Amino acid sequence: MNPLTPVWDLPSIRPRGGELLPTVDMDVIPPQVERARRTLWAGLLVFRWVSFAWFAANAILSELTFRYGPLPWIALALTGAWTLWLSLPPENQERPQAPWIDLLIGVGLIVVSGLVVPPGEVIGDTPFFAVSYPVSAALLWGAARGPGGGIAAGAVLSVALVASRPINDIPLQDLSHGQIFGLMNGAIFYLAAGAATGVFSLMFTRWAEQFRSLAEAAIHASEKDARLAARESMGRAIHDSVLQSLALIHKRARELGEDPTVPGSQVLELADMAREQEQALRALIMREPEEPPAGAASLRDRMEAIVRSVQRMPVTLSAVGPIWLSAAHVETIAAAVEQALDNVVRHSGATQAVVFADIEDSWVIVSVRDNGRGFTYDERDLQESGRAGLLKSMKGRVEDLGGRMRVKTAPGIGTEVEFRVPYDQAEVSSGGGSGE
Amino acid sequence: MSEPVEGVDHDVEQQPEADRIRVMVVDDHPVWRDGLKADLERMGAAIVVSEAADGGEAIDRARDAMPEVILMDLRLPIVDGVEATRRIVEESPHVQVLVVSASGEEADVLEAVKAGAAGYLLKSATAEEITDAVRRIHAGEPVFTPSLAGLVLAEFRRVAGKEPNEPVLTARENEILKLVAKGYSYREIAGKLFISVKTVQNHVQNILTKLQLRRRYELMRYAIHKGLDRAPEPEP
Repeated sequence: MNPLTPVWDLPSIRPRGGELLPTVDMDVIPPQVERARRTLWAGLLVFRWVSFAWFAANAILSELTFRYGPLPWIALALTGAWTLWLSLPPENQERPQAPWIDLLIGVGLIVVSGLVVPPGEVIGDTPFFAVSYPVSAALLWGAARGPGGGIAAGAVLSVALVASRPINDIPLQDLSHGQIFGLMNGAIFYLAAGAATGVFSLMFTRWAEQFRSLAEAAIHASEKDARLAARESMGRAIHDSVLQSLALIHKRARELGEDPTVPGSQVLELADMAREQEQALRALIMREPEEPPAGAASLRDRMEAIVRSVQRMPVTLSAVGPIWLSAAHVETIAAAVEQALDNVVRHSGATQAVVFADIEDSWVIVSVRDNGRGFTYDERDLQESGRAGLLKSMKGRVEDLGGRMRVKTAPGIGTEVEFRVPYDQAEVSSGGGSGE
Repeated sequence: MSEPVEGVDHDVEQQPEADRIRVMVVDDHPVWRDGLKADLERMGAAIVVSEAADGGEAIDRARDAMPEVILMDLRLPIVDGVEATRRIVEESPHVQVLVVSASGEEADVLEAVKAGAAGYLLKSATAEEITDAVRRIHAGEPVFTPSLAGLVLAEFRRVAGKEPNEPVLTARENEILKLVAKGYSYREIAGKLFISVKTVQNHVQNILTKLQLRRRYELMRYAIHKGLDRAPEPEP
């Protein structure tokens, strides 16, 4: 069957042009993403301050046990100053040099821990000097540079952590299984912390990209809506002035033309002209532009052009959808239909004709039907009037496309010429079809 | 326009006014309304009891004038023809709305038919064709054009088979609609299918009813999709 349009695409309840979504500035991070990102950075700062408070409290409570005189206090003061600078304002965290300084301080604190804690006690009962503060560096790196940055910072901190053991006079080869396990635990903690904020930051970036592409699509759609709205308002204006009058001229002229007291031919010509102009103008302004599959042509539009070009007889087109086919197929079918209509105008004596175009059961079907006198199939009669060659020519055209021609007629019931062409060969791509 | 009035009067058998079909003409163009009115009354089958230049006016005046048939243009300044058709048919289901529209407005015509219009005619139709359509529509016969039949076919195929309960065409209705799209009259279709003209008309009427049902389905689906069928959630 034909491709189906989404169920929700309801022409009657579609929002009016331009109101779809507000336009979005492409360079700005969407506010929803920005809010979430701010929350992450604020969270980092909270963690940092809690770590620092614990760090300071721990340092003050275990004052007497530290070595190297003023070194622990310098380290504590420096860390406090750094934490304060990062918080005033919190945007300082996002400065390009911040991650580097923070990593330096993190590594420094771990190394200083190895120095200031009494020898051999960094894994003993005494709490680790810098406590959890160095983790902040891994978190900051993750937030600023993504998972890669976070893991890299975590790795650097882990190396420092391992190095802090020998600094504390505990040779690595003397570590017990439990101590190695503790060390690895710390390292994994650093790595995981960096990776976690990294993943969040990556998520926000993706999220922002998604928002941006949605916004772009929305802008694209509202531009299209605006174009359609402009077209519609122009259409209305022309409709109200020109087209109404043209339609009236056409109608009146036809009536005059049928009046025996008025010289008919000239008036009919006027009527045809008015009709042709009216329809051409309508076709120009009324139809929403449809986007065809690449390389495809609309059989309906081509048929409409043909129907419009027929003078002297009202020809109606009815089509089931736009019917996208390859341009070559459309042209061949068009040539056959033109011949059929030409035959109707010349020979049938009909007062009207209908061209019907449809796709059904993988056949493209086009029929040309008139209400003329019809005919019985008489080879000689057809030869004499020159119609045998015409029939053969039409038949040849559709058979070139792997199709068939069928003529249904009898005296008094008019004639229906039907062309059938296989759809799968006429189709341009699998995405084509007759869907609206 | 120097038509000999006497000649016309001799040509057309005038019916007594009481027997004529009460018609309302809705179009924003006075010239067009006058022309249509003149045509209809000249042909003697109908009498124009009211006119309106806008859909809102049409809805109001239809209540007082009580027309039997409304000739409705679709592009109207304030309330459009589709909306006016919907409201009028809702209020007075016995009124037959005949859309008289310009070509190139087929999508709107389809909406109007879904909203309850019983027929469609091009503005370029002759006085005879219009009068004939008014008579037929008044008699309860849906007035289809081939191009409208094509649009209706496309509409039924658009979401065919997606919804289990959605009305779809029977094979017979599909066959008849396709013959209408090819330009066959009801009489010709009846002859081709060996059924009565009345049966053909009934089939076409059923097709129209299904089309109008589909619109309700669409609105319902839309409502469900948008969550309009649920009570608003309490504010947190």
